[in-house]
Amino acid sequence: MKMATRQAGEAVILDISGDIDLESSPDLRKVLLASLQDSPGVVLNLIRVRYIDSSGIASLVEGWQQAKSLQHRLVLFGLTEVARNVLKLTHLLKLFEVYETETEALSAFSKTRN
Amino acid sequence: MSDTSVKLVLPSDPRLGGVVRGAVEQFAAAFGVGEQDCCMLALAVQEAVTNIIRHAYGDRHDQPIELTCCARPDALEFVLRDEGTAADPAQFCARPLGEVRTGGFGTHIMAQAMDRVQYERLPDHNRLRMVKHLGKVDRAVQG
Repeated sequence: MKMATRQAGEAVILDISGDIDLESSPDLRKVLLASLQDSPGVVLNLIRVRYIDSSGIASLVEGWQQAKSLQHRLVLFGLTEVARNVLKLTHLLKLFEVYETETEALSAFSKTRN
Repeated sequence: MSDTSVKLVLPSDPRLGGVVRGAVEQFAAAFGVGEQDCCMLALAVQEAVTNIIRHAYGDRHDQPIELTCCARPDALEFVLRDEGTAADPAQFCARPLGEVRTGGFGTHIMAQAMDRVQYERLPDHNRLRMVKHLGKVDRAVQG
């Protein structure tokens, strides 16, 4: 798994590629929680994520919990079919704010901020 | 079609997750399973391996795990064998979904992706057998 961050207005976009699994999810967790601490909004780009396993899901849930406690925002976009299926199977798809594209995700973020 | 099986023996090293997923995915694809179902089967087996690493082996990364993939005329079977501590049966009781928590998802993913998940404690090892009936998967377009 590889990660890169970029700024988009007040939000930070995390571009993730590869597989999120037991090996890589601690890195995702660390970067996600730090980004949420520093920024009012974090947008996860999952277009290039083919697999996300239960440890990755747990990291996302921790991110959601931190965002909620800080009154920050965590937004996802570009879920592959497998990633979407996994979130559905674990009954978590409705927990997250999910968009199809980066434009939609950033648009939703900026609308709510304004 | 006669039974065809492939056996993979690997250490309990999380870095090898991609090897497990790749093997399962390629095996299922060889028997006509469609791409998305291949991914879900690979994910289910990966979840089982994760449970072995975390719980049976207590995060020790040098212990043996044996994966056997078997294609039968009507089903694919994935059998995992480890020599770790016996699983706590309570871990196989899925915790209720619908509440926000950070663990226990793997069991649900395995149960949903497979048609049958059976755990056995044998005298000197654990065995987990997972079965997916081929009639319930999307078949890849042959051509």
